[in-house]
Amino acid sequence: MENRTDKNSYTIIFAVVMVAIVGSLLAYAASALSGRIDENKRLEKQQNILYAMGINDNDETSAVFISTDKAPEAFDANIVEQLVLTVEDGEIIKQQTRQEYLDENGDEPYLIDIKKEKSNAKDGKARRMPLFIGEKDGEKIYIAPIYGKGLWDAIWGYVGLDENMVVQGAYFDHKGETPGLGANIKERYFMDDFIGEHLMDESGNFQGVTVAKGNADPTNQRKTDFKVDALAGATITGDGVTAMIKSDLRLYVPFFQNLKK
Amino acid sequence: MEHIELFFKSIFIDNMVFATFLGMCSYLAVSKKVSTAVGLGAAVIFVLAITVPLNWLLDQYILQPGALKWLGPEFASYDLSFLSFIMFIATIATMVQLVEIIVEKFSPSLYNSLGIFLPLIAVNCAILGGSLFMQSREIATFGLALNYGIGSGIGWFLAILAIAAIREKIRYSNVPAPLRGLGITFIITGLMAIGFMSFGGMLTGGDEGASKKEDKAVEVEMIETPKVDNEETIEIAENTTTKEIN
Amino acid sequence: MGLLSKKDSKLILDPLADNNPITIQVLGICSALAITAELKASIVMSISVLFVMGVGNVVISLMRNIIPSKIRIIVQLVVVAFLVIIVDLVLKAFAYELSKTLSVFVGLIITNCIIMGRFEAFALGNGIWRSFLDGIGNALGYGVILIIVGFFRELLGSGTLLGFKVLGDPIEKTGLYAIGYENNGFMLLSPMALIVVGILIWVQRSRNKALIED
Repeated sequence: MENRTDKNSYTIIFAVVMVAIVGSLLAYAASALSGRIDENKRLEKQQNILYAMGINDNDETSAVFISTDKAPEAFDANIVEQLVLTVEDGEIIKQQTRQEYLDENGDEPYLIDIKKEKSNAKDGKARRMPLFIGEKDGEKIYIAPIYGKGLWDAIWGYVGLDENMVVQGAYFDHKGETPGLGANIKERYFMDDFIGEHLMDESGNFQGVTVAKGNADPTNQRKTDFKVDALAGATITGDGVTAMIKSDLRLYVPFFQNLKK
Repeated sequence: MEHIELFFKSIFIDNMVFATFLGMCSYLAVSKKVSTAVGLGAAVIFVLAITVPLNWLLDQYILQPGALKWLGPEFASYDLSFLSFIMFIATIATMVQLVEIIVEKFSPSLYNSLGIFLPLIAVNCAILGGSLFMQSREIATFGLALNYGIGSGIGWFLAILAIAAIREKIRYSNVPAPLRGLGITFIITGLMAIGFMSFGGMLTGGDEGASKKEDKAVEVEMIETPKVDNEETIEIAENTTTKEIN
Repeated sequence: MGLLSKKDSKLILDPLADNNPITIQVLGICSALAITAELKASIVMSISVLFVMGVGNVVISLMRNIIPSKIRIIVQLVVVAFLVIIVDLVLKAFAYELSKTLSVFVGLIITNCIIMGRFEAFALGNGIWRSFLDGIGNALGYGVILIIVGFFRELLGSGTLLGFKVLGDPIEKTGLYAIGYENNGFMLLSPMALIVVGILIWVQRSRNKALIED
């Protein structure tokens, strides 16, 4: 028995058979389940976008999405337009409506992969940025996706803005931040802090929102200081949130300036 | 510049042991003597320097969404990233055993000093952690990946060297009996990690530095224009102090 | 434990105290440090590890006579990774909400050396039933430490337990905070996990002198 399993030929055959079995099982599982997984991801994106415009099932303290079976309906009812802006060197070179984008790519704008577009921009290519326009109580809310890096892995989110770039709602999520520390960016008390924060100063320069330590404003009374209170013990994740807000939302500034003209 | 920055960052700021707490098990188990610690540390540098760049190639040309497009445009839509874990682990385990066989064959003396640590390394989570960080931090080039591998290896090496030296000396100290050995090592590592946290502010790139200055300017403005009444100011001041302690 | 013989129940009970994987065997430390800032995360991680170790030990034990010794480490790693990825995929498809909570732990479970350590030390040389018990026992021992550390870190660090404000509200100054108590934010940082585990080891070894190192 022992001798048989020590032979080189046996080792190689074993390895090959194992790789074949494990590989095919994984590939089978991945492809068999991919339909459902994609569907779940699609619904989650709709829920995220709706959350950022204030459509959710929040209770007193925790953040709760609108339920998955209601999400597609609510998405169609509340999101009146989805724009796709193509940005190169900080300039918007093309602006497409949802229909134009659909005709060109055959895909919904909200499915644009922000991560891929961001790395395209890094390579000097043009970047496509979706912008969702929702209508709530007669007011228009512009929802922009953002994407960045936390301590361990990716973080991302959606920020809902009015036409003056004042935050109306924010949703953040993460792939693997430390539970209890960085992972708290998706807690209600952190996300709610952003509501009402201004992104532009009075002279019309883009300031963003900084996640700041020792903010001297823990209950977040001042809405024009471009700062929210940081999470204890999650400095790097907080810096990641600051960075993604500053880098990604800055690109939308020309759009909002055009809007006012 | 990018290389130097990444190198120092991976050694000090993102130190595998003190900042991300990876590779703790072998760090605690094999740090009784400096000589063995040096052996294991060297092996970790060696293996990280091989596996991180290798996994970078795998990630870039096989695993990433769209990575297969070198096979032809029809492969561009494949996304094999769900295989990352298993591929990385397989690479690491294979490399470790390959290195073991090669070293044994060609340099018996090196094998004698390094060899016994190699099997330990396959289960050292710092190694897999290195590859996963390389993937999630989107390290851009092969050179940077190599740099990152060596840097994090050196960081780990420094950590185990330091704790082994402390443990050799602490044997002469009067540590309470139940705390001797593992207990005190845990506590010392905790204190060292707190020390390493101070490296956190060392590297702040140009952009971030500029924005921090801006923030300061805003802060100063704020102080100059107190608009709240007395009671609230006091409350806010109190809260500031607690926040800072946090 | 009427179902188990004395020898079998020892397999489960030993790792809970005198042969604890974290405080004695020095296995699975990384995850114990990374996720114990919150009690809930500690519990979720304990349950996940319980599952992976129970099943993994059985699989390795089943295969113990056919695994070539030269590549046994690769085989063990592949078995863990395979189990975890399959579970992750299935959860993503059928219980998406749950999978989001667990996604953080996937990497941590694969790299958890407690699993590899028990495969190597026990399942490779023992029968299915005993390996299963060993897996469960060690996972429970691991979970106990995680939950104790998580309990203290969340209670002292954020003043909450499982998210409930058990000590009152720090902003509105109710409960304990009314008399000047403050949260120790330091407890939330990972170095404090090391120190808490260090103190646990101290307590354990003071109670059982046989475990003291020379």
